Amino acid sequence: MQKPTYDPIREVYSRRVKPLSRRAAFRAAAGGLGYLGFLSMMAEGAPAVGGAVNPLAPRKPHFAPRAKKVIFLFMHGGPSSIDTFDFKERLVRDHGKPLPIKRPLAFADEAPGPLMKSPWEFRPGGKSGILVSDLFPHVRDCVDQLCVVRSLVGEGVDHGAALLQSFTGSSTFVRPSMGAWSVYGLGTENQDLPGYITIKPTLSHGGAKNFGSAFLPGAYQGTPIGHSGMKVEEIKSEPIQYLVNKGLTPEQQRYELDMIQNINRRHADMRQFDPNMEARIQAFELAFRMQTQAPEIFAVDKESEATKKLYGLDDPRTADFGWQCLLARRLSEKNVRFVQATHSYKWDQHSDLFNKHTSNAYEVDKPIAGLLKDLKARGMMDDTLVIWAGEFGRTPISEGGNGRDHNPYGYTIWMAGAGVKPGFVYGATDEIGYHAAEDRMHIHDFHATVLHILGLDHEKLTYRYSGRDFRLTDVAGVVHKKILS
Amino acid sequence: MFAGALAAQVPKPEQAEFFEKNVRPVLAQKCQMCHNAKVKTSALDMSTAAAFMAGGGSGSLVNVESPDQSLLLQVTTYEGKLKMPPMGKLKDHEIAALREWISMGAPWPGYDPKAGVVATGGTGTRKHGNKLTEEDKQFWAFQPVKKQPLPPVKNKAWVQAPVDAFLLAKLEEKGVPPAPPADRATLLRRATFDLTGLPPTEQEMKEFAADRSPDAFGKVVERLLASPRYGEKWGRHWLDIARYADSTGNDEDHRYPYAYKYRDYVIKAFNDDLPYHQFVKEQVAGDLLPARDGKPGLNREGIIATGFLALGAKAIAQQDKQKMLYDIYDEQVDTVTKTFLGLTLSCARCHDHKFDPLYTKDYYGMVGIFASTKNFKDDQSHVSKLLFTPLVPKEQYERYEAAEALVQHKQIDLEIAMEKERRRLHEKLAPQIPVYMMAAREVELKKADVAAVAAARQLDAKMLGRWVKYFAAREVPRPWLAEWDKAADDAAAQPIANGFVSSSLDSLAAWHKKLEAYRKPQRRQIEEKNMLSEKPKLINEKDRFFGQVFDNNGPMGISDAQLNAEASLAAQQEFAAIKAEQKRLKDALPPEPEMACAVQDGHPVQQKVFVRGDYNSLGEDAPKHFPVVMAGGRQPQNVQGSGRLELAEWLASPENPLAARVMVNRIWQGHFGEGIVRTPDNFGRMGERPTHPELLDYLATQFIGSGWSVKSMHRKLMLSSAYQMASATTPGQFEADPENKLFSRAVRRRLQVEEMRDALLGIAGKLDLTMGGTMQSGFGTDGENSNGRLSINPEEQVRRTVYLPLRRANLPALFNLFDFGDATTPQGRRIITNVAPQALFMMNSKFVAEQAQTLAAALVKEIPAGRSRADKAISRILNREASAADADAMLSYVDSFQKKFAGKMTEADAWQSACRVLFASNEFMYVD
Repeated sequence: MQKPTYDPIREVYSRRVKPLSRRAAFRAAAGGLGYLGFLSMMAEGAPAVGGAVNPLAPRKPHFAPRAKKVIFLFMHGGPSSIDTFDFKERLVRDHGKPLPIKRPLAFADEAPGPLMKSPWEFRPGGKSGILVSDLFPHVRDCVDQLCVVRSLVGEGVDHGAALLQSFTGSSTFVRPSMGAWSVYGLGTENQDLPGYITIKPTLSHGGAKNFGSAFLPGAYQGTPIGHSGMKVEEIKSEPIQYLVNKGLTPEQQRYELDMIQNINRRHADMRQFDPNMEARIQAFELAFRMQTQAPEIFAVDKESEATKKLYGLDDPRTADFGWQCLLARRLSEKNVRFVQATHSYKWDQHSDLFNKHTSNAYEVDKPIAGLLKDLKARGMMDDTLVIWAGEFGRTPISEGGNGRDHNPYGYTIWMAGAGVKPGFVYGATDEIGYHAAEDRMHIHDFHATVLHILGLDHEKLTYRYSGRDFRLTDVAGVVHKKILS
Repeated sequence: MFAGALAAQVPKPEQAEFFEKNVRPVLAQKCQMCHNAKVKTSALDMSTAAAFMAGGGSGSLVNVESPDQSLLLQVTTYEGKLKMPPMGKLKDHEIAALREWISMGAPWPGYDPKAGVVATGGTGTRKHGNKLTEEDKQFWAFQPVKKQPLPPVKNKAWVQAPVDAFLLAKLEEKGVPPAPPADRATLLRRATFDLTGLPPTEQEMKEFAADRSPDAFGKVVERLLASPRYGEKWGRHWLDIARYADSTGNDEDHRYPYAYKYRDYVIKAFNDDLPYHQFVKEQVAGDLLPARDGKPGLNREGIIATGFLALGAKAIAQQDKQKMLYDIYDEQVDTVTKTFLGLTLSCARCHDHKFDPLYTKDYYGMVGIFASTKNFKDDQSHVSKLLFTPLVPKEQYERYEAAEALVQHKQIDLEIAMEKERRRLHEKLAPQIPVYMMAAREVELKKADVAAVAAARQLDAKMLGRWVKYFAAREVPRPWLAEWDKAADDAAAQPIANGFVSSSLDSLAAWHKKLEAYRKPQRRQIEEKNMLSEKPKLINEKDRFFGQVFDNNGPMGISDAQLNAEASLAAQQEFAAIKAEQKRLKDALPPEPEMACAVQDGHPVQQKVFVRGDYNSLGEDAPKHFPVVMAGGRQPQNVQGSGRLELAEWLASPENPLAARVMVNRIWQGHFGEGIVRTPDNFGRMGERPTHPELLDYLATQFIGSGWSVKSMHRKLMLSSAYQMASATTPGQFEADPENKLFSRAVRRRLQVEEMRDALLGIAGKLDLTMGGTMQSGFGTDGENSNGRLSINPEEQVRRTVYLPLRRANLPALFNLFDFGDATTPQGRRIITNVAPQALFMMNSKFVAEQAQTLAAALVKEIPAGRSRADKAISRILNREASAADADAMLSYVDSFQKKFAGKMTEADAWQSACRVLFASNEFMYVD
């Protein structure tokens, strides 16, 4: 920006006030407590000066992390594990026979249907030879990167409970989400962007509670980019709310901001010992940087044609999730701590399993494989953990003749990248794929393990609220070390 | 067995934790259902430490010297003859945990082998198990409220009100001088935001500046308390505590269509200065209380008030309905105890409270009250159905229901007539199954054209198309077509196809028998106002072929439209006659009665303790009662209904020391930034201690003495030197009181999101002050990816923020950004964060731009250019007179902005920017 020759504002407010020193700010804020302790106290009502310390400043993990950031690909509705990554020979054999066990609590009202084999062929992929169905041919090509966990267990048989538990650990109460806990524990490296971003999140089944901060300070909530009801084209014009000024040029806005800052500095100068004043001045500077730099990061269109093709942006059916995956990579590349992409509520095949799962998988298969290949090519797999999961799997028995009901009792997710063994299969369901049978990984365990990979001890990452220390994993959670690389 | 086998250890803290986390759950869930105090299978009781250590018919369970020799491990590893538990082997990690625990010496919290003292259910965190100790009883919060004399002070001139004496005594003791008085403009702005959530108007500023009488500020306080805006501000604070929202949140996010009536009730209660004890009672049991005016009949306000209990977050699609209900009771216990008592009783759901003398039995004693209270019209349906309560007399509601029942009867008449006709058509169609099947076979095998084949065989082409599609969908299993699919040639296929005719006709008859059985109880269900039973689905019929083929979407299905078109003349006439009668009845319906989201008394439940919170593990009886540490032996006897009325009376009684203390603390916090107890929802051990306990008790006494008048409490606090201090501080004062625990200065606070939004609209002259009513429409919920799931966008509305309906699962982005909280648990104090996206809102949002534009346009139009325009902008936005320097800076800014971007910026544009600068300033956003 050109310096103005004569500037009356600076004439009047030329006396810049030195910001409160770090030491003074800290003393004012916390009385010497550690940062996390300080935030905990804020919740319990301690110093009113809270909020002056940047809640998003990067912080040391509890121990050396295996991954620094996470990309979570969420398949809303519940993809069927036994039709994707968990082949069940017995279902082929006993196709059409009655369920040999007592059916656990079901979501569907009707009487149990017969066992139903997968309508898709399974084939080995890569050197590891892990079986993947024909629903995911592109991901199968990358299967040597995957750590497939076939023994996830949750408690929610309905979507709401299952989503909330998958993201917050609790199926019934509103708790902070995994992303919020991660940013609370680690802060964020890139101050120009939010630490936790969720692309096209769901509006249903708990909606924003699935990426909220609950009783953690609001700074840790996920920043949504659009929502599941929006098309990418609608999102592109203003991916993050309030990011774009539609009235002023950047130069005009900088001029305006200078005036704001000068007024605020003079105001702060007359109000010593209040770190909030300086914190808010800094927040405006940060905001300006954010809005200057963020559009560049959201300019997915600037990627090479080859890259766009890799993610399936050239095919209208894969373009939506491809855009999400490519944006996820760009955000992760800029060190956004926790990025989530949601394939909106589509996977809930109580009926018409074959056609709907076929089209759902088509929409995500190539984009996901593209992401895996791209991350690998860029060396990002060294510090990025990729997670693929639905809120549950689906039953081995049919519902209504051509669908499957919800199954949280044993389902498959996979992870890839930093921290986990590649080309590895962990856990197993029983012969028919209804219950997890070996190395059961409860959602609490899954959370504990992800936090562990990020260098956080899930038992130490606590927040005091309402007289109690809360954790992502409640009073449970075991780190499954066997999957760690 | 060794002698040492019984010598269990007193646990260290980490051992206690290990036991609680890894061992107790296994014992509780896998062993104690057969081995408990009541059912001592094999003479073994494993429910308490002493009984456990004593062993059973087969001897001691643990051998701490040779853990592997322990009976407990021998049976659980399934190695010996006796295998326990019988229903399935424990998980490996569970057995490993038992082994590790025995190796530690089987430490059981609360059990001291030497003393033999056993505390059942104790967690080891509190020292004395479930016995109330002297220390427990002495805890400050449980002491009766004591009358407090005013403490002596030196600087008597500073004491304007009794509260000043209490603060000053401490300040003088510590040698810290109180801050000087705030200037009048600052004080007016503070008082106006504090009581109404809005900035003062220019007229109000002028009047206060001109009024030099000694009670000038007193007049301001009276004016503000009398303003309807007062109830909107303080009602909103109460709604935070009542975790108010307009939908269920969690899973399905169903609307609470009448929630707004509770909100309006709260606002009115504050505006009317409803005595607080009455306010408490009405919210817990208003439906059971007589109306305030003593008139017999329906207590309309009382019913609405119980929205407090009814409007929590609920997961209504949970399929484990028992768990769903007890989660809801838990939510209600949590809200009631935090709101009115500042206690966290719900911490005692699974174990005794770790820090406070609150017991699992106390918790279930209160749960029993809510378990005897109705929240649902039907809690067992797939998605549980919410309960709505009529706000009209019973007879009037029953008249409406009876009239509506007639409409329902007609609906059933119509459906039965349609079923009859559909059956007739199906019976006609069934014999054609073979022709269609053979034709479809031809289409598929010869890849023939459907229309051509249909024409050649004189068949309905659309129906044939559906048959072809049906057969082609081979990816799903359908054993009933296995033979058909295998048929080698037409000759083999034909008899198979023929066979489906008689089987389908049989199934059709069976299906209609089933329909009749389903219809049979419906008349009675309507009369008894029960939910109608769910209609069986054809597609689920046991004869899958029949179900799939004759289902409305199947090859021979008949849609309703088709049915109407193809029905016989007689049937068509019958349909029309029923519909005409139904319309006549509908038109004659009386107006729909007014309803509320409220609770009702249900079937009284004799609640038992759920061991570790698990409803499958029943423990001792927990009769309806209040926490023993507070109520002692004064417990309700022979509770007849739910017990809510007794609970309400107890909560609101002057003998309950926490009711008044908790509320005066909330009011104090609303004026001084922090409470006397800085954890307003937690007065327990893990909460903060009061900084000025005598003051708290003084205020509580005054509060009760004033007839629980909230407005009178505002006066007592605001007409003090303490409230009127400046927020500025000096280095010396800051050093002496860095956290302002002595209240040596006023607290500077940021505007809440409601205050910010309402002030921006108000300053722009756009705020709509209409009170009450709802902006939400409809019932139930919306499609999963529908915009209908979003809350109304506050940036596109001009009503006061408190009136915007909140879809709990998707609160407005603006609320999330500015620390509104999540509307799921009581929130006596918002956590304020200071982050960059908030600045983006100020800089870039359309909302702020619009308010700045509107104000700028008015300034340019109405005020001549120059100093007076700058003065106006500053006094309007910052609520003070502009200094010459301020005004000059503003004018220079506007001038240079226009010059610098000459040709692109109009005068109005430059003033819009200037107004936005002021909106974005810390001075606007904070109240000094």
